[in-house]
Amino acid sequence: MTAAAIAVTRVRRAYGDAPAVDDVTVTAPAGRTLALLGPSGSGKSTLLRMIAGLEPVDAGEIRIGGDRVSAPGFTLAPEARRIGMVFQDYALFPHLTAAGNVAFGLAGAAREAREAEALSWLDRVGLKRRAGAYPHELSGGEQQRVALARALAPQPRAVLLDEPFSGLDSTLRATLRDMTMAAIADAGATAVFVTHDIDEALAIADRLAVMHQGRLLQEDDPRTVYDHPNSVEAARALGPVNVIAALARGGAAETPFGAVSAAGLSGAVSVAVRAEALQLVPGGRALVTARRPQGAFDAAWIEAGGVTWRAAIPNRGGPEPGARADVRIDPAGAFVFARKDGSV
Amino acid sequence: MAIEASPASLPAPTQAARPHRTAAPWGAIAAACAVLVCAGPALAVLAMALSAPPAAQDAALMRDSVLGTALLLAIGGGGATLLGVACATLVSVFAFPGRGFFAWALAAPLAAPIYVLAYGYSALTWAGGPLDWPLRGVAGAAFVYALGCYPYVYLATRAAFAAQSMCALEAARTLGATPISAILRAALPAAYPGVVAGAALAGMEIVADYGAAQHFGVTTITTGVFRARFAQDAPLLALQLAALLVLGAAFLMWIERRARGRRGYAAGPRWRPAALADAPRWFQIAATIFCAAVVALAFALPLGWLARLASLRPLSDVDGLAAPLFASLALAGAGALATLAFAAVAASAARHGDGWGRAAFLAAGLGYAAPGAVIALGAMSLYAVAREAGLVGGLSAGLGAALLIWAYVARFTAVGAQPLEAGLARVSRNVAGAARTLGASPLQRFWRVDLPIAAPAAAAGALMAFIEILKELPATLILRPANVETLAIRAYAYASDERLTQAAAPALLLTAAGLVPILLFTRALPRLRAGAR
Repeated sequence: MTAAAIAVTRVRRAYGDAPAVDDVTVTAPAGRTLALLGPSGSGKSTLLRMIAGLEPVDAGEIRIGGDRVSAPGFTLAPEARRIGMVFQDYALFPHLTAAGNVAFGLAGAAREAREAEALSWLDRVGLKRRAGAYPHELSGGEQQRVALARALAPQPRAVLLDEPFSGLDSTLRATLRDMTMAAIADAGATAVFVTHDIDEALAIADRLAVMHQGRLLQEDDPRTVYDHPNSVEAARALGPVNVIAALARGGAAETPFGAVSAAGLSGAVSVAVRAEALQLVPGGRALVTARRPQGAFDAAWIEAGGVTWRAAIPNRGGPEPGARADVRIDPAGAFVFARKDGSV
Repeated sequence: MAIEASPASLPAPTQAARPHRTAAPWGAIAAACAVLVCAGPALAVLAMALSAPPAAQDAALMRDSVLGTALLLAIGGGGATLLGVACATLVSVFAFPGRGFFAWALAAPLAAPIYVLAYGYSALTWAGGPLDWPLRGVAGAAFVYALGCYPYVYLATRAAFAAQSMCALEAARTLGATPISAILRAALPAAYPGVVAGAALAGMEIVADYGAAQHFGVTTITTGVFRARFAQDAPLLALQLAALLVLGAAFLMWIERRARGRRGYAAGPRWRPAALADAPRWFQIAATIFCAAVVALAFALPLGWLARLASLRPLSDVDGLAAPLFASLALAGAGALATLAFAAVAASAARHGDGWGRAAFLAAGLGYAAPGAVIALGAMSLYAVAREAGLVGGLSAGLGAALLIWAYVARFTAVGAQPLEAGLARVSRNVAGAARTLGASPLQRFWRVDLPIAAPAAAAGALMAFIEILKELPATLILRPANVETLAIRAYAYASDERLTQAAAPALLLTAAGLVPILLFTRALPRLRAGAR
């Protein structure tokens, strides 16, 4: 199969007056995985459906492998795009067995060949034994795997996945995610993956696009988005941040917990500090008000000057609630953005 | 009649996908046609009654009929509700001998049209019957309504129980409630929307009934419509009475829908069947006896007696049934096909989530709630208007049959649409998109996906409509082409002449046909729950 790059350029889609997707430009390089990350209602699923050809575009264009497939007034039919899609609810055909579902998109070849092909795909996702089962007889995880095999079997140029693990519990999720990404990599397909789960996005993405209220906030490799968010919202999209309004003066912005470098900025700014960029050191400027274990880290709430921030601190040792401490802000996780309207 | 969920309460299309603004307008046009066809007759009755000057022709008939219907609703409907709740609670919550059998047998009386029950009881208790306790008048009708209509409450309440998770009962127990008080305080209140919905359905049935009320000589609004229209030749009064029926039916439908709308809060995905409470031995035996008595009184006894009467008749009687049987099958077949077409339009429009789909379902619900007599009157009035305007010719046999089929469509589209809608609702909306991304063209998608998925539901819908039409009496009585007799009309005609032994055979045939969907749907009820697709 030949993977194809997907290029979405200045695409817009509105329902009534409300734009669901507004002026979005993203690219999924051939054979790589693009993750669309954002909360519900951010327009990521609509964008995916436009790439699939299930929604028209109101403005902009979409190209798959260089072919123009969507433009205003032109929508190449989904069946002509040679893409596979895994739906959030799997959308398995209830009247067909697992094997029948996988064989659905296999055209041309003789019946026996199609059946053998479907079985081999089911085998690849570890479901050969369940080939004769109907969707309602399968567990959620099994349905997801059938949906994946069904999407990959026709050897599409690209696979689109719409929150494919959202219905599954967290342990199963991680296992299936690894299996899914391995199968996609194995097939060499381009993948566009919609999720609202930060860990999931970071785990799978070659490119990460952060969406918010129908707009693209930032698109880059995941490390860059994490280390250099271009806005408060983009910073927030990748984990808990503490945000406060401040004044930048002389290349620094002052917060109740210490100064943050604000090179090149002056006047009203928003300071965003990742929870994991706050380190508690011996001292007395801040009060630890609460602390909770959260696995690898503890969450600690610290208060200074009437402001409470959240920090992620090592899960052993350190100050207990009621103790005082000083706070060190790791500059790699502290960001300052100019503020135009005075809001945070 | 309506099994499990009622057609009058077709769930508003759940969480529509985003509006398809690019959808072809012909879908909306078809849905708009469905709205006109289904709601037309009932709305015509309302409009004509409201636009006419108030008629003071027979205030007594108006008063008596309203009083009669109110009394029957209170006594018959109340009795049906008590019986239905009691049976549903016993079957849903307790384990007792014969429970599995009673679970569906208690629904069996739905198979018999109420007028057939009425014939059965008059044969039992009137001249020549073994019981010398003649059932007549309001008491007789209320008794028959309670026995004939409790299954609506029973099925709706049982479905409400089935939708509950055991957790509610268990939570009540952990909070210190005894098994009985857990049922009274946790399970029954949660099933309350089902009770109300079922009672409203029973009420609609009582309001719409013509045959039983007529047989027992009770003046109700429905029999009043007939009397005003055909005995007193007072078409305006008939329209006004019919308009009352439309308002009453719409009110009951509103109650029913509201109750249904509130039942969604139960069962999450982790549904488990409610545990059956262990009751003392004496209670179990009493439950068995109670259920057996209900089934006997509402089904076995009256129908058994009719069967005995039928067996006393010479075999040559059967020949006389051939023509009505054929007419019934032909009318019901044609009506079911037409109904299915409109049901499919309504269901698919609703699935696409546009306003016309909802309107079509509402119109179908109104048509279903409205009594057959009203629909027939409305269709006739619209025909008269069209004829005066010179749009149609005189009432030929073909035109008459078409009017009748129209009445069937208006009345039973909801019945046909309900299984279709329910069948399609279990299928993800994304299935269509999935088929497209897998390379199927729209036409291929229709053949390979839509049709096979919808076929069983469509067949069920057509079957339901077919059997409803078979049993339909008042609309057929008003609109049938001259000399055409159906089984229902034959039974009615014999019963009106007090020739109950002859009425027995056609009545039993209708009941046998009515049993088919009962078996189909009550046996399937448990499988419609969690896990099943």
